[in-house]
Formats: sequence, structure tokens, C-alpha cells
Amino acid sequence: MMNDKVVAMLLAGGQGSRLKSLTYTIAKPALPFGGKYRIIDFPLSNCTNSGIETVGVLTQYQPHVLHEYIGLGTPWDLDRHNGGVTMLPPYAEIDGIKWYAGTASAIYQNISFLQSCDPEYVLILSGDHIYKMDYELLVDYHKEHEADVTISVLEVPWEEASRFGVINVNDEMDVLEFDEKPENPKSNLASMGVYVFKWEKLKEYLETDNVDEESSHDFGKDILPAMLQKGEKMVAYPFKGYWKDVGTVDSLWEANMDLLDLNSGLNLHDPGWRIFSSNPQLPPQVINETGNVQGSMVNEGCVISGDVSKSVIFQKVKIEEGASVSESVIMSGVTIGKNVKLHRAIVPPRLDVPEGFEVLNQKDEVVLLTQEQLDEWKERGGK
Amino acid sequence: MNLMAVVDASVKKEGLQDLTMQRTVSSVPFAGRYRLIDFPLSNLVNSGVNTVGVFPTYPFASLLDHIGVGKSWDLDRRKNGLFFLPVTQRDGGLSSVGAFAALEEHMQFFTKSIQPHAVVINSFIVSQLDFKDMLDQHIRSGADITEAVSGGASLKTYILSKDLLIELIRTHRDKKVVSVEDVVNLKKSPYKFNEYEYEGYFAIIDSVQSYFQASLALLDEENRKQLFLADRPIYTKVKDEPPTRYVSGCHVERALVANGSTIMGQVADSIISRAVYIKKSARVEKCIIMQKCVIEENCDLSYVIADKDVYIGEGVVLHGTPEQPIVLRKGEKVTKEDMR
Repeated sequence: MMNDKVVAMLLAGGQGSRLKSLTYTIAKPALPFGGKYRIIDFPLSNCTNSGIETVGVLTQYQPHVLHEYIGLGTPWDLDRHNGGVTMLPPYAEIDGIKWYAGTASAIYQNISFLQSCDPEYVLILSGDHIYKMDYELLVDYHKEHEADVTISVLEVPWEEASRFGVINVNDEMDVLEFDEKPENPKSNLASMGVYVFKWEKLKEYLETDNVDEESSHDFGKDILPAMLQKGEKMVAYPFKGYWKDVGTVDSLWEANMDLLDLNSGLNLHDPGWRIFSSNPQLPPQVINETGNVQGSMVNEGCVISGDVSKSVIFQKVKIEEGASVSESVIMSGVTIGKNVKLHRAIVPPRLDVPEGFEVLNQKDEVVLLTQEQLDEWKERGGK
Repeated sequence: MNLMAVVDASVKKEGLQDLTMQRTVSSVPFAGRYRLIDFPLSNLVNSGVNTVGVFPTYPFASLLDHIGVGKSWDLDRRKNGLFFLPVTQRDGGLSSVGAFAALEEHMQFFTKSIQPHAVVINSFIVSQLDFKDMLDQHIRSGADITEAVSGGASLKTYILSKDLLIELIRTHRDKKVVSVEDVVNLKKSPYKFNEYEYEGYFAIIDSVQSYFQASLALLDEENRKQLFLADRPIYTKVKDEPPTRYVSGCHVERALVANGSTIMGQVADSIISRAVYIKKSARVEKCIIMQKCVIEENCDLSYVIADKDVYIGEGVVLHGTPEQPIVLRKGEKVTKEDMR
């Protein structure tokens, strides 16, 4: 069992602007993924599976869907008498509303929440990533190394390293340097945005950072470099396993396709590490006589009468006769009309794709379908 | 809502023995992700009834595990809600609905509730009965007891005033009647009866044959359209199963499939429950495969009902008939060696 002195703070206020129309009305952590989940199900389920029972969820951008979705935290067993989940949106004080200016300021504004939890360790998580991780092992590692802060790191391909916060370490995994998105990375160990702090240390640095007018109030850019500069004990925890930042339409598509690859390392069918989610009350899926499903995942409430291959199909999707869907992600409540052809498409929730519509993206680019696109197609007379 | 409900989950069906060794008829799995009791419970809450007593006999562990405090049906309430009321008496006859001796064991449920009317229902008939509509018709008719019927068949569902029900429970020995069903079937009776004609889907599950037929009938879209209504959903205990995987090379047609399964083989005209594993080159035709079954490579199955947790070893061939499907009991393991 996890020491109850660990509190997780889950940063869920991000917009994810590179996800285009998918995040116009919802925050990135609320983005649908994998046929039935939202991205935030992954860190929340990791908490449940790691025995962390106190979780603060920090929201800011388009918070309504997230607040409604998480509710009392019941799907993740976070509806507890002691601890459980607490939603932490920005709030007004006597001297005005304080928006979260950066990841660190979001935590700073909730120091009183953390004080009331009286933790020994604070785990900082992000609601933007798809991964399965036992946080208990990370906290144990942090304790063993008697660190002030431990950063979870992942080996990434060298050519991608410049997209991340890159960590240079010595043989003992002590962090020597922290480069936020460097042009010429000296290492291929990327920060996953998952940190464990000694609470007393974190509080001290948050308070100092808050009054620093030069600071952008960000963990990667400000807090961690400041701690390193002052010689605090900072170690890297090497995480091995599947991890993906689904920050773009392409990476969202890739992560969904990874689910279909039995060897990708992302297995949702493992009963020992369930990803919990809300479970709508829908009848089983139906594969009709004319339906053909290959290499795909299909959720409940679907009726499949067309061809589906290498695709992820969310709940309540209807795919009509003669339609062909390949390498696509079809979100909940979508209807794919007769003879529609879709290849490498992401179809957002509740879109009604009319009979005969085709996406012929020969360059194998991923296309995010929009209502406007369908309307234009109809105006052109279906061409 | 001025109606309370008695769900008689104590009725036994000899014909369903293979599926009820370790459970009540009310907790027999149906349609891939449901238990039979989900249908009456959902119909009740969809009709606005929120005082529900469930009266089971042994073995009721699986039923209790399934319905719990009634959360899936929003029946976990401070006021009213779900009452789990196990009974020991069954002298009302094994298959008669609303046995007074059983109801008598929980007299407080009736005396303490405030609703003036009671509906007595069973949990072996699957339907979309609207109890609000039935109650309205009952009140308009001025009858003492209203029975739901459909095309000449009794749905063994009865509405009567709570006072009459309490009186019958208290005096049934003197009156020489054993159950509500029995009272309705009396040749000579002091009560005024009324019939409520129901026109939707229904299926009476009282034998392996009727269970098999009713299950496969759900592959017919017309039946599904009548049973699974968007505005009157069927609620059940939810599980955190991921979407079902259809592995390249599989072949699935005319199938009802629940979540969490992995299908690599061939499936036709079948019902596949949650978390079933059907391996490569296995063939499953006209079968009902329940939760967590594993069907190994090169199996060939037709007209088989595999209860929960059944393991079918590599290369096993089992062919039942429409009249006599083969039933594999819960947890059974079948291997090629067993077949010789």
C-alpha cells in the first residue's frame, strides 16, 4: 500500500491548440481516446492502480466537460471519505481572480489545498499523456535516493529529443542539467512531466517563484532549473514502457493505431492494470451480415454493416452498408452513411457523414473531418 | 409514483437447471452483457417506480453481487430504493409468481411503504413493459387485480392495491390460495379481474430451448429495436472492459458482441459476452458464449451454450441441435481427451 502522505496534483488545464477543432470546446485531457476513454482516464487510473487516494485536478481551459466527467471520482474509486478527488479550477480572492499563469503557478495557487492534505510528497502529473505507470515505484525510488525532487524520464529517439525537456544525468542518475526543448540535445532522456517533490521543498520554491517577476511560473522552465542551481538533490527515474504525448492530430491518430498493434506495449486488455472510465449503459455491439471487421477495436452500442479495418470505433457508431473505413478513428455517436470511403480519418463525435462521402488522401496524411467540410461537400452537390 | 414493486426472484425453472446450479433464474446472463433481472428492474425505473423489493431464494450470491444496493438502476436512495429480501419459504409452488408465504417473511416492506398500489412481477420474462401505463389502465378499469398479457400469453405481472395484497398475504391459508398468480387463475373468485394488453417485445425464459431461441432471436434487428429503446435503456452492472478487439484474419457476421473480448476466429449467428477469447481458426456458429470463456484454436462449435468461465481446449468439436443445444456448465473445462 502506498503511503497516504502522497498527494497527486494532476494538471488538466491545457488547451492542446494543435488538436484543432477537437479541443475547441473541451480541454485536451477530456479528449476521447481508444474507443471509450478520455486521456485523463490514464493518469487517474494510474493513481487508482498505484494506491494514491488523494488527487487534485487543476482545470482552467474549457473545464465543464472535465468537471462533469470526473464528478465525485466514482469510476476511479476516488469518491473517498478521506482524500479522493478534488477539482481545483482558478478562483477569486479578495484582490481579484488569479488565473493559472503556468504549471507552477497552478500549484502555487492551491498551496492551501495541499496544506490541508498535509502531504510528505507531492506527485505532479499531466493530463495530456497516454501511459500506464506505477507511481508507487517512482515514490519508492524517490525515497530510496533521498531526493528533493525526482523526474520521471523516458528514452526517446535522438531526432525527437529537442521536442522535450531533456535531462542530462551522471551514472548515479543524478540530474546535472535540465534543458527545456534544446536545439542540440546532449541526451535522449526526456522528461515525462511527472515529478515527485518533497512537499516542504516544493512549497519553498513555489513561494520564491511566485514573487519572481521574471519567471514564467513553469516547472520545466523555472522551478526545476532554480532547484538545480541551488544544488538540491534532483534524480531521474528511468521509466520503461509505452508513453505518448497526444498533442497533435497526427500523434492522436498514431496512439489510437498503437492500440491495434498487439506488440505496441499499450495493452488495454490487461486485467491487472485496468484503465477505468465511465461506462455508458449501451447494448452490445452488432456485426451484421454485410459487416466485416478486421484488426480493429469496437465499443458497445455500435452497429456495423460496412467494412472496417485497422480502426478504432467508439460507442454508438453506425456504419452502413457499402461503407469502407480503414486506419481511422471514429468517435462516439457518428453515423457513416452508405458507400462512404474513409482512409486515415479522425471523425469527431456525433458527426453524420453523408452517403457517398469520400476522403481520398493519397499522401497518407491524417484528415480531421469537420462539419464545415461536410457542409461544403453537400453544397458542391456531393463532389 | 404511487406504485411499489415486488420482484419475485425466487421462482425456479426445472428446464433451466443447467444454467441455475449456482444462481437464481433472475441472474442468468442474457444478451451478452445483461442478467435476466436487469429487464424488470430497468422497466420499473423507466416507469418511475423507485420502491422495489427483490425476493430471492438460495443461491442468491450472484444476484446480490450483481444488483448490490441498486446503484446501476439509481435505486441507491435515502428515501425508498432497492430492498433485498431473501426468502426461505417456497410452499407457493416452484413456478408460481408472488408466493404469499414468501412475501409474508417481509411483511414490513409492505406495511412501511407509502404507495397505495403494488406490482408483482417475475424475473424470467424479458420485456419492455411500461408499469405506469399499466397502472393507469388498472385504475381506470376499477378492477381489483390487473394481469399483463400479450397475444393470449400471460406475462405473469400483476397490479393490485397494496391493501388487497396485504390482506391476501395475511389470509392466504384460510382462503386456500398460494400466490398472486394462483389467485388470478382461480375459477371462482370474489375479485374483479382486468387484462392489460402489452404489444411490445417479450420472451419467456423457462427452459434451455426457450433461452436459446430468445437469445438468438436478438440477432434479428426487429427484436433488438423493440427491446433496446434509446429512451428506455436497459441498465446493468457496468464493468470496466475495454472495447472488443477484432484481430486481422477473424470473420464475424450476424453477431451480438459485448466489450472486452478478443476475436481471432470465425463467429456467426452468435451471442458473445464480455471478456471472451476466441482464438485462431476456431469456429463458433449459433452459440451463446458467456463471460470470460476461452475457446482455443481449431475448435468447431455449433448450437452450444457455454456458461461463464468455460474453457474449451484446442480442437474440440461440439455440435448440438436447435432443439437440444449442448450446455457447458459454469467453469467447465472441455478438452479433446474428454471427447474420446
